[in-house]
Amino acid sequence: MESDQNYSRKITFYGEGNKLFGIYIVNVLLTIFTLGLYYPWAKAAVLRYVYQETEFEGSRFSFHGTGKEMFKGFIKAIGIFIGLYAILIGAILTKINAIAAIGVLFFYIALLLLIPVAIHGSLKYRMSRTSWRGIHFGYRGILKDFMEEFVVGGLLTIATLGIYSFWFTIKLRKYIFSNIRFGNISFSYKGDGTEYFMLNLKGYFLSFLTLGIYSFWFVSDLFAYFIDNMRMNQEGYVIKFRSTASAGGYFGLIVGNLLIVIFTLGLGTPWATVRTLNFVFSNIIIEGTIDVNAIQQTEMDYKDATGEDISDMIDIGLI
Amino acid sequence: MQKFEISYYDGETSVSHNAFLSLQHDSWTIEYIHPLFGNRAVKWEIDRVERDMGFTSIFIFRYGDFPKQTLECKDERLLNSLKQFYPDKPFFDKKIDFLLRQSTTLILGLTASLIGLIICSYVYILPWFAEKAAGQIPVSMEIKLGEMMYENTIARYTKNDSLTACVNDFVKIIDFKTDYPIEVTVVAEDEMNAFAMPGGHIVIYNKLLAKMKSKEELAALLAHEVSHIHYRHSLKNIFRILSGYLAISLMLNDVNGIAVVLADHSNMLVNLHYSRNLEQEADEKAIEIIKANHLNLNGFVDLLALLQTGNTDLQPFKLLSTHPLTKERIAFVKEMAKGQTAMKKNDSLEQKWQAIVAFEKR
Repeated sequence: MESDQNYSRKITFYGEGNKLFGIYIVNVLLTIFTLGLYYPWAKAAVLRYVYQETEFEGSRFSFHGTGKEMFKGFIKAIGIFIGLYAILIGAILTKINAIAAIGVLFFYIALLLLIPVAIHGSLKYRMSRTSWRGIHFGYRGILKDFMEEFVVGGLLTIATLGIYSFWFTIKLRKYIFSNIRFGNISFSYKGDGTEYFMLNLKGYFLSFLTLGIYSFWFVSDLFAYFIDNMRMNQEGYVIKFRSTASAGGYFGLIVGNLLIVIFTLGLGTPWATVRTLNFVFSNIIIEGTIDVNAIQQTEMDYKDATGEDISDMIDIGLI
Repeated sequence: MQKFEISYYDGETSVSHNAFLSLQHDSWTIEYIHPLFGNRAVKWEIDRVERDMGFTSIFIFRYGDFPKQTLECKDERLLNSLKQFYPDKPFFDKKIDFLLRQSTTLILGLTASLIGLIICSYVYILPWFAEKAAGQIPVSMEIKLGEMMYENTIARYTKNDSLTACVNDFVKIIDFKTDYPIEVTVVAEDEMNAFAMPGGHIVIYNKLLAKMKSKEELAALLAHEVSHIHYRHSLKNIFRILSGYLAISLMLNDVNGIAVVLADHSNMLVNLHYSRNLEQEADEKAIEIIKANHLNLNGFVDLLALLQTGNTDLQPFKLLSTHPLTKERIAFVKEMAKGQTAMKKNDSLEQKWQAIVAFEKR
């Protein structure tokens, strides 16, 4: 093992707004001219660029996903949605109340069940298509288990009028992180539902009392709660993450981005994106014993991007 | 032979090997010193080498089955050597490089064309499309929509029931040459204005009615407003405005904005701006209606003159803007009135007009 394993490290983002802008412009034009069919390639181009400009220990990350893979997923996802809407509209067109009601109910249940499918598929695809120094990430979650977690948590959340959602979120994070692999490095999440609930309660309350001023402290607390509870484990050595994001930093980021996007009528979005990624990565410190030269390849290849595309359609933002 | 400094990853572990790459006709050779096994050389067959398309100045190549071997090179000269060595390999193509390198001219050109496209679609394509869409709405739905908007709008006014009844009696005598059910509502308002809603509702402010001196003026006003309804002008305008909001909201990812506009749409009818063309179209149809009913077109001229004087009222520019270019319109109607023949007395219409006048005096 090398001698300089035990110190704090950072991920650095080298992306530039003008380069990302160039990619966006081409993407927007081609997406318009192909009536949206270019979307998967557009997304692949952005992800490729962002990953390639992200560096850890002198090596860049890679996104291996291709527009073609994501296009197949895109078509499947569109098929699923057309099918769902066809059933819904068909049921309503029968003009029989009972059938219409069943149709609507079916539609919403199917939509709800699609969320875990989308998250699962998306994680599996995105992780397997991400690598660093040739070592691939992977997601080992099992769809059936994840669905169970999700349905139980979802029902409890509805039954408690949303209060359970904080415990639910933490449970999902724990499940997801415990199934992420980076070669032979495993991940875990140490958060606690009650703590997370109290954090949110305090955040809502103080934001309300201070007419929103506290919300910058609130978002930086939420970010810290996410980052500080992440762990990596390399053959028994625990590696911790720590957030250094401050409320003032968040204020600068959010207000700055709003101004950029508004005053450029949206054309400045790539610069805002770069600012955000810079902010996020520069505020994460990785501490602990890690041997960056001893990560072993462990994960399998995986090419199905359907989950990735479904989650785009129901607007689930991942990573 | 030229050698390039590279980083090499074998796909098994994350060790970063400092290596050298040399190019042969049908293969690449990668040489490095392994910490355990000493000098090593790896051969890549050229046909199985893949290039990672990226927008950075780092060249990344992969080789073999999963898990792939990877090499990274920061040496700019590599690309030129590759082009010379393998001129027919597509991934060293100049065209791809041109796109990836993002020349400033290309980006500026694309940006300009995107902005042009957005403006063009906002100003021309979208309104055209919206009008076509408005044309596709079935009449029954239009009437329902108009009814809804009417309910919304009228709640903000004080309705004058007796005058409303009188004017509707007046309406029944005239043949407006339209299939829409015309329904007039007179409201108490200290301003000279009148507007049409999709599907057949017309709202007239009582001040405008009070200033009118002849049945022909009222007939002209009604004929003009009915023409707006007949040609679906307000529906088309609403669609145009909504499509604009829709586009902006979609761009800014704000669906709530659309809901707000929909909720507030009835308000804009009062201040609706018709384009010069739509106004002209409505005037022409109105003239046709007036002629067909054998009424004197000079009433129309008087009406326009009256509306023009209305401009000097409290809100000097309002009517001017809702009905633009009144002077031109007066000139046009005057011209049409000159050649008018076959005017007839219409006693029953006069009777209804007198009823309105009598009521106003009370």
